[in-house]
This record gives sequence, structure tokens and C-alpha cells, in this order.
Amino acid sequence: MLSIKDLHAEVEGKNILKGLNLEIREGEVHAIMGPNGSGKSTLGHVLSGRPGYEITQGSVEFLGKDLLELDTEERAHLGLFLAFQYPVEIPGVSNMEFLKASVDAVRESQGASAYDTVGFMRRAREACTAVDLDQAFLKRGVNEGFSGGEKKRNELMQMMLLEPRLCILDETDSGLDIDALQVVASGVNAMRSESRSFLLVTHYQRLLDYIEPDFVHVLADGRIIRSGDKSLALELEAKGYSWLDDGEVA
Amino acid sequence: MADLLTPQLNAETPAPDWLQARRLAGRAAWESSELPTRKTEAWKYTSLFALQQPFMAARESAESAEELGLELPQLAGSRLVFVNGFWREDLSEIEPDAAIELVRFSEADQSQAALIAQHLGSVVPGNKHPFSALNDAVLADGVFLRILKGSKAARPVQLVWHNSPQVDAAINSQRLLVLAEQHSEATVVEHFSGQGHSFTNGLTELILAAGATLSHSRLHLESAEALHVGGLHAALERDATLNSFHVAFGGKLKRIDIVINHLGQGAHCQLDGMYLLRGQEHVDYHTCIEHAVPHCTTDETFRGIVGDKASAVFNGRIHIHPDAQKTRAELSNKNLLTSATAEVNTKPELEIYADDVQCAHGATVAQLDESMLHYLRTRGIPADEALVLLSYGFINALVEKQRLESLRDYLKPRLADYFGAALAVDSDDAGG
Amino acid sequence: MSQEQIDRAIAKDYAAGFTTDIESDTLPPGLTEDTIRFISAKKNEPEWLLEWRLGAFQVWREMVGPDWAHVDYPEVDFQSISYYSQPKSMEDRPKSLDEVDPELLATYEKLGIPLHEQEALAGVAVDVVFDSVSVATTFREKLAEAGVLFCSISEAVQQYPDLVRKHLGSVVPRKDNFYAALNSAVFSDGSFVYIPKGVRCPMELSTYFRINEANTGQFERTLIIADEGSHVSYLEGCTAPMRDENQLHAAVVELVALDDAEIKYSTVQNWYPGDAEGKGGIYNFVTKRGLAHTNAKISWTQVETGSAVTWKYPSCILRGDNSVGEFYSVALTNNLQQADTGTKMIHLGKNTRSTIISKGISAGKSSNAYRGLVRVGPTAKGARNYTQCDSLLIGDQCAAHTFPYIESKNPTGIIEHEATTSKVSDDQLYLCQQRGLDPEKAVSMIVNGFCKEVFKELPMEFAVEAGKLLEVSLEGSVG
Ligand SMILES: Nc1ncnc2c1ncn2[C@@H]1O[C@H](COP(=O)(O)OP(=O)(O)OP(=O)(O)O)[C@@H](O)[C@H]1O
Ligand SMILES: [Mg+2]
Repeated sequence: MLSIKDLHAEVEGKNILKGLNLEIREGEVHAIMGPNGSGKSTLGHVLSGRPGYEITQGSVEFLGKDLLELDTEERAHLGLFLAFQYPVEIPGVSNMEFLKASVDAVRESQGASAYDTVGFMRRAREACTAVDLDQAFLKRGVNEGFSGGEKKRNELMQMMLLEPRLCILDETDSGLDIDALQVVASGVNAMRSESRSFLLVTHYQRLLDYIEPDFVHVLADGRIIRSGDKSLALELEAKGYSWLDDGEVA
Repeated sequence: MADLLTPQLNAETPAPDWLQARRLAGRAAWESSELPTRKTEAWKYTSLFALQQPFMAARESAESAEELGLELPQLAGSRLVFVNGFWREDLSEIEPDAAIELVRFSEADQSQAALIAQHLGSVVPGNKHPFSALNDAVLADGVFLRILKGSKAARPVQLVWHNSPQVDAAINSQRLLVLAEQHSEATVVEHFSGQGHSFTNGLTELILAAGATLSHSRLHLESAEALHVGGLHAALERDATLNSFHVAFGGKLKRIDIVINHLGQGAHCQLDGMYLLRGQEHVDYHTCIEHAVPHCTTDETFRGIVGDKASAVFNGRIHIHPDAQKTRAELSNKNLLTSATAEVNTKPELEIYADDVQCAHGATVAQLDESMLHYLRTRGIPADEALVLLSYGFINALVEKQRLESLRDYLKPRLADYFGAALAVDSDDAGG
Repeated sequence: MSQEQIDRAIAKDYAAGFTTDIESDTLPPGLTEDTIRFISAKKNEPEWLLEWRLGAFQVWREMVGPDWAHVDYPEVDFQSISYYSQPKSMEDRPKSLDEVDPELLATYEKLGIPLHEQEALAGVAVDVVFDSVSVATTFREKLAEAGVLFCSISEAVQQYPDLVRKHLGSVVPRKDNFYAALNSAVFSDGSFVYIPKGVRCPMELSTYFRINEANTGQFERTLIIADEGSHVSYLEGCTAPMRDENQLHAAVVELVALDDAEIKYSTVQNWYPGDAEGKGGIYNFVTKRGLAHTNAKISWTQVETGSAVTWKYPSCILRGDNSVGEFYSVALTNNLQQADTGTKMIHLGKNTRSTIISKGISAGKSSNAYRGLVRVGPTAKGARNYTQCDSLLIGDQCAAHTFPYIESKNPTGIIEHEATTSKVSDDQLYLCQQRGLDPEKAVSMIVNGFCKEVFKELPMEFAVEAGKLLEVSLEGSVG
């Protein structure tokens, strides 16, 4: 589904990704771990097409298309979803207005008919309930004044409504209390399917207790330096990243 | 400027002495003043060329609301409707409310007339503004709203000032005087609308006695050809609170002067405004907050979006007088320019004569935030649609701050319409 | 900095307030065409320059002084000023420093500006203007090796007439404003700098201005031309004796930065501010402007502590694409001083950038205004400005104002302006005192911190001097 080959990317002239390879097939759940500043969020931004990130080398194929050739919204239409580590606030645009515009656009691009207002609102309310967010949040400005945890849930809610093919969750578990963590996990688990894949960026093994990954990768200095199954996460938790430093990182 | 006043504008209508005296004084002040030119600092960016013609009195109109294209906002509460400056009983609705007295100057009883005579013009700075003098000079009728001591008006009071299409030179003078007595509370919405050419000189005076709370909005929803030179002057006594909200759509030339005087300690003012300009429109907001005494606060926010060949002017002055210690005053003016032929001139000003104060202002002329734009696009919203949504949000953020729900509900679809935003959801039902 | 210099800097009064006993040739007060002819003849100027001056005088006579600034002073009587004063010993221009009047040299020693090259601030070439004339320029040979021309403008008129003629008035036209017109008519001397293509000026260049004679005005004219790809840093310092009368200083500075060139212009202005009652002091009415061509950069840094009245807006015309303008300013007013100062950034070229950092400090009964203009023209695609204006008030008798004009005609530009006002808080003072600092020291420390962003733009020697100057200028501001 997603095939990243030798990806190099820079921000403001600084090399961040330095030859990253990653293969994700349908239905798989991948977890990426790695020290702060290693390039995990950068990977998400590059995949979503954020301005300012320049790809200097390599290729990314998504569902048979050259992802890097597409506009940000076209990537979303194809089914790529990024839950941001730091979601931006948009005062003045209510969450509801935003969600409707987003879901309409994605559905239209996929040739599906738009939900009628009543039907959409029902879905939005259901999604709220699923992520344990009060419905009052639908009326507030997008992420405006939301707490860290509320922003994360809001991201998750959007994911549920958009029903993407590939979900990239950038530290959606950070800053969540234990109940919220379970909400995130059950949300993700409920969405797991044969045709939907996940890329979870996380610092904590505990998320992987709830969402069982098929693969765990360690990203350091812009490259994946180790891949394994979920036991790798446990090992990392016990030994830290420096354990990998000796041999693996050239 | 005698030549700009035709004899027709001589207030022939019989008037009580106090009114006649005011007219004469206004006329004298107007005639002895010069029409400001662009060399006058306060008019640097606004040319009054469009006004260089003799004004005539506006004519009365008996057309129906439909013929007038008058869409009455349903904000609930009393509504006085004036067309071309003439009261239209048939379109007005007066709800009895024991908390208020709402009368036209012409029908004021003796004690009301005494109050009007006492307060009218008391906050408008002398001859500083020639158009205030002009308003006095041709004053025929006006509206007096008194909110009685310790009372709270149950529903908002609405003034609708509408113009039917007229020759450019017809002048509509409108006047509102609000006296909010001690610890009273009320909401007032002024609504300016009209079709085609018109020239309006609308002057509003708000007097807030100690502890009074007043929400006042001035909505300019006039046509693209409208001329409007107006003013809002407010005086706030001890612990009074004024929420003042301004909306300007359109207008060939619009110049609104807003002067808020903090005269009693503990007074607070929240001043919000927005302007949305297209075509060849021109809007000029000049605001001035006078902090004359200690311990008062001001929060001022103006935002504008200016496109096509339109031009916007914003001048926001905050003046902290000597001894006005412990003042907190903040002003923000943000502008979006959306076309290569549009223009924004902004000048936030601080003039400070006391040291123990917290004052800040900021002004920007910029584009919509890139990270917001990106966020929307990652959710599949196409770039052009995302821009529309963000423009709407940029302005709507100010609407959301307003407490009167019916006002928000009235404005939001109009904004969405203006931007062409496809906001299918009535967010009111969203919470349900 | 020597101990002596430091001691002097923190001396309790205006340290530069002495007068020098020198016989001078001073033109009697008054301004007519003859005055101008006299100045021009005295300097043996070519005909075109005399014509240029007379043209300016014509224009000036039609103009009225500016009244928009937030300053208040009695009308200047232009007929009571002497427009030319020159130390007698200058009649025969000194060929070298050894020939300079020892009294004069001693004056500059007192001011902390040693003119003897061996003692001079390491690596700084100095031109000194005393009343109306340039008295000495140091390090000329060394500069000549690099092809850098650094001399008085009178000399430049004689030796490099083509350069002067081409650029004089090209950035500040004669009719630009009242004082620029006056200066164009009567300017006496000033500095001239030319940096050839691709040359990085090997040392800092510096000019010291001093008004000595009573009743004289100083009308210096500075012209700096940085040819393509060159680089120069220029410092300017000013002092004047304490006199009861107000003296006028109306300078014009023009900077031309050709493609890829960079000019850094730093000023420490310490003209006599008048006494605590507001008596005397310099009226500092200055026009400074730079023109930046493609990829060029012009940076103004100023520390303004002196003068009774300051009216000054060092500006940048960003004509070339990608050109950069900067303005870093500290303006301190105390007692009855008044300052109305700021900058103009005129964005014409594509992707032009400007930064404005202004720190105003008002103490005593003074008034301190920032006035700035940021204009983004229709051609200035992608232009960007950031402005930060902060005011610090010390005491409840002073005033601080901010008047930023922002004019934008380009939808691709980004202009951001922010201004704040604060006072030296009791908590800050308390903390410092608790750490054993006396209040005055504490205030000066806080003020220094407030100005840090600007000081870091100054060349090293000046940064120290500027800090000390603030301390002296704040004298008596804390009860
Ligand atoms: N706009 C930018 N300008 C300069 N450097 C940037 C920019 N964005 C990211 N970086 C740098 O790129 C590197 C990778 O950042 P990234 O956000 O991808 O790290 P991360 O692995 O997600 O870290 P964390 O675990 O802290 O979230 C960091 O060193 C960061 O400082
Ligand atoms: Mg990250």
C-alpha cells in the first residue's frame, strides 16, 4: 500500500530524512519509535505534503500512485490521514463546519454522495461519543482552546469520520491519561481492517500493549536503523535507544 | 462650508427651543469649519471628494419593506424603523418593557426632553468633527433610549436606519442617544441598510452611568454605493461596561469615528470591529480610547479583509492621560489583503502619560496562516475552499465573541454567503 | 576602554560639556544668498555645487518647518544662527596630524577620541568634524591601499567631483523636507566614503562631530557609497559643549548601497541635552536615508541619548529585489528632553525584508515618541516586515508614544507590528536591591537589559560606551 524508497528530505536547508525505506501492506500496523528529533514527525509531514519540506531524493508510492506528485488534499482524497502531533487551532471555524467540509470533500472526490445534514450530524455525534468528547466541542472553533488530550481526541474523531486507508498517528498517545489512551486504542482497534493500515509514531511501549503492531521500527537520525516485531518495543523500553547506538548506527 | 448646505436643509420643521438652539450651534460650527483634506492627519487616507456637492434633504418614502429591499433582522425585542430618516410606524414594533423608555425626540415628554437636552452632544467633542456639527445642524428627529436605574432590559432594542435609492446629494441624518442609568443593563443594535446611492450621517451617543452595562452594535450593511460619515461617542462612568461591536460591509465611502471615554474608575470597554471590502469600496475606522482615569481596561480588536480595488483605513488610538495609572489597554488590528490592487493603511497609536500601565498594540497585514491551510488540506479540503473557510473563520472569530445569540445567528449566514463558504451545517443544531 | 574613559563616562554630568578655547573664524549670524556664496567660495567649490546650494535655498525659502512631530519647541530663528565656523588654525589646512592645533587634539582626547593613529581605537579610522569643518582623518594611507576613499566631503568635492556630483542628493533630494533643504543650502562639511567594488573595508570607519562655537549651527553632510559587493561599517558620534542657548544641528546622511553591497551605520548621539530645567541643548533635526539596490543591505543602529529635541528617521528605500533594511534604535529621554524618532522602510523590490526594533526609554518629564512608516508597494512581491516597538517609562511624569504607519498595497507581503509599554517594576527593583544594588544601578541594569537587542548590533567599543551613556543620562531619574 505504501512503499517508501531511499527517502531524503530537508527542512530549511537541514537534512532530516537521510535514506528512509519503509514498506506497509494492507491491513498492517506499524509502529515507529525513535529519539526526539530523529525525524518521525518529519516523515508524517513529508507524506502529507506540508509546504517547506523538500524531498531531495527517493520515492513514495501510495496505492499505486506517486504520492509526491500529489497535492496535500489529493493525498487525503486517496485515503492518507495524518493525526498531527501538534494540531493547529483555527478560531472562528467551528469543528462542525470544518468536519462537514472535510468529509464532503473527501466523499465527493471518491464519487460518494454527500451526507445530508441530519445524517452527517448523527455520525459526528457518534464519533464524538466514540472518542469520549463532549458534543459541545462540535460547536467550538477547531481545536480552539482544547487541552492537549482533547486535541488528540479531536484528531481521532476526524479519522473516524474520514475512514482513510492509511492512518498515520503522530504521538496521538502522548499527553493522554490512561483512560484516554484506552479510548484511542479502542478507536484504532475498531477501525482495523483488512484494507486499512496504520503507522503509529510513539515513544511508549504502553500504547502497543493496547494496539498490537505487526512491525516495530526504530528511526534514528533520519533512517530506520532496526526493524522487528513487537518484542523490539519491549527491548527498547528496557534498554533505551543507546543500546542500539553501538553497533547499528554508523 | 456654507456652500455645502442648501437652504432646504434649514430645519424648517417646528422644534422646541433646545433643539433649535442645537441646530443653530451646529450650523455655525459646520459653516466655520473646513472640509478636511488629505493633508489633515485624521483624513490622510480618505478623500472626501465624493462629498463635494451641495446636500439636499432626503425625501420621505412610503414604499413597503419589500419594495425597499429591507430585510428586517429578527433579533427579538423592540424595533424602530426609519426610512430616509423618517420614522415608519408601519414597519416598527414596540414591545413594552418597564426597564426602558424608548421615544423619538419629537414625541418626548417634558422630563424626557429635559434629559435629551441635558445629554445630547455632551460626549461629542465640540467642533472637532465637522460632521457631528452637520448632524446637529440638520437634526430633525432622533431616538432617545433610557434604561432605568437598576433595571435590565428584557430584550434587545433595534434601530433600523434604511435608505431608499436617492440622488447622491440627499443627506440622511440619524441620531441615537442612549442613557444607561446606574446599574442598568441593555442591548442595542443599530442596523444601517439601503439600496443604491445614499449619504448617511449617523451619530450615536452612549452615556453609561456608574455600574451600567451596555452592549451596542453598529451594523453597516449598506449598498456598495453608499456614503456614510458617522460617529459613535461613549462616556463610561465608574465600573460601567461597554461592549461595542462594529460591522462594515461595502460602501463607496465609509468613515466611522469611534470615541470611547473612560471617565470613571473601573470602567471596561470591549470594542470589536470588522470590515469586508470589495469592488471600489472604501472604509475608514478611526477609533480613539481616552483613558482619563485610573483602573480602566480596554480590549480592542479590528479585523478586515480587503479585495479587488477596495481600500481600508484603520487608525486605533489609545490615549492614557496623566494619572490614569493601572490602565490595561490592548489593541489588535489584523488585515488580509486579497488582491494586488487593494490597499490597507493601518496605524495603531499609543499616547501614554502614565507609567504604571499595561498597554500593547499589534497590527498585521498578511496572508492566512499557512499551517492552518495545510491542516485543512490534509483533511481533504481543496486549497481554494480552505482559503474561503479560513477567511470566514478569521472574521467569524469576532462574531463568536458577541454575546447576543440572535445577532450571531443573523450575521453568520451573511458572512458565509459573502465568502461563498459552503457551510451546510447550522452549528446551532450541532450540540443537540 | 581605559579606566579614565570609563570614569569619564560615568561622571555625573554631561561629560562632553566643556568648551575649547580656540580662535575661530565664525561667520556673523544670518542667512542670505551671500552666506551661501561665502561658504561655497571659502571651500573653493565648483560652480555646479554653488548652483545646487542656491537651488536648495530657493526651495527652502518656500517651505515651512514640519509641525507634525510630537515635539514642542520655540520657533527657530534662522537669522540668528551662524552658518560657518572654523578654527583659525585651519586656514591652512593641516597636511598631517602633526600640524593640527594641539588644543584641538586635546579636545578630542578629552572626548575619548584620540586622533593619533597609534593610540586610536584599534582598527577604527576616524574623521573628525569640529563645528563646520573636518579637522582630521586618520588611517588614510591604510584605507587607500584597499582603494577605500575616506575623507571630508569638502575634500571629496575637490578630488572626486564626479562621484559626489552623481550621488549628492540622489537619496535625499534637496526639497525632501525643510531641514534637508536647509542643509543642502548651507552644509559645511561632513564625511565622504567610497568603497570600491567587492571590497570589504578593512576597518571600521568613524566620524566624530562636535559643535564648539556658540550660536553656530552644524549642518554636516555625509555621503557613503558602497559599490557592488562591498561592505562597510561606519560609526558616528556627536557631542557639544553645555550652553544656555539652543543650538541647531541639521545633518543629512545619504547611503547608497549598490548591488550586493552592505552598509552598517551606527550612531551614538550624545549632543548636549540641556539642563534639568530644559535650558539649552541641541535641536537635532536630521535626515538620514539609504538606498538599497539588488541584494543590498542597509542597517541603521542608533543610540540616542542627547539633544533637547530630536527629530530623526533613518530610513531605507528597498528598491532592489531581495534588499534588506534594518533599524535598531535605543532612544532615551530624561528631564525635559523630547524625541520623535523612528524609521521608514519603503519596500519597492521583490522579496525585500525589513526589521525594526525600537526601544524608547522615557524618564523625568521627557517625551519620547516612536514614529515609523512601513510601506509595501504594489511591486514589492513577497515583502516582509517585522516591527517591535517597546517603551519603558521611568517615573509618572514622562510620556511615551507610538505612531506606526503601515501602508500595504501588496497581497503577498507580510507586515507585522507589535508594541508594548512597561515600567521598571517594583519587583525588579526590589530583587536587584535585595542583591545589594543601589536603585540607580538597578535601574540602569534593567534598562541595559531592555536595550540588549539593540546593543548587540553595535560594534564592540560602541556597545560599552552606549551602556555607560544610558547610565549617565538616567542620572537623577530614580527618586
Ligand atoms: N521548520 C524546521 N526548521 C528547522 N528545523 C526543523 C524544522 N522542523 C523540524 N526541524 C528539525 O528536524 C528534526 C526532526 O524533527 P521531527 O519533528 O521530525 O522530530 P521527531 O522525531 O518527531 O521528534 P519528537 O520525538 O520530539 O516529536 C529536529 O532536529 C527538528 O529540530
Ligand atoms: Mg515528533
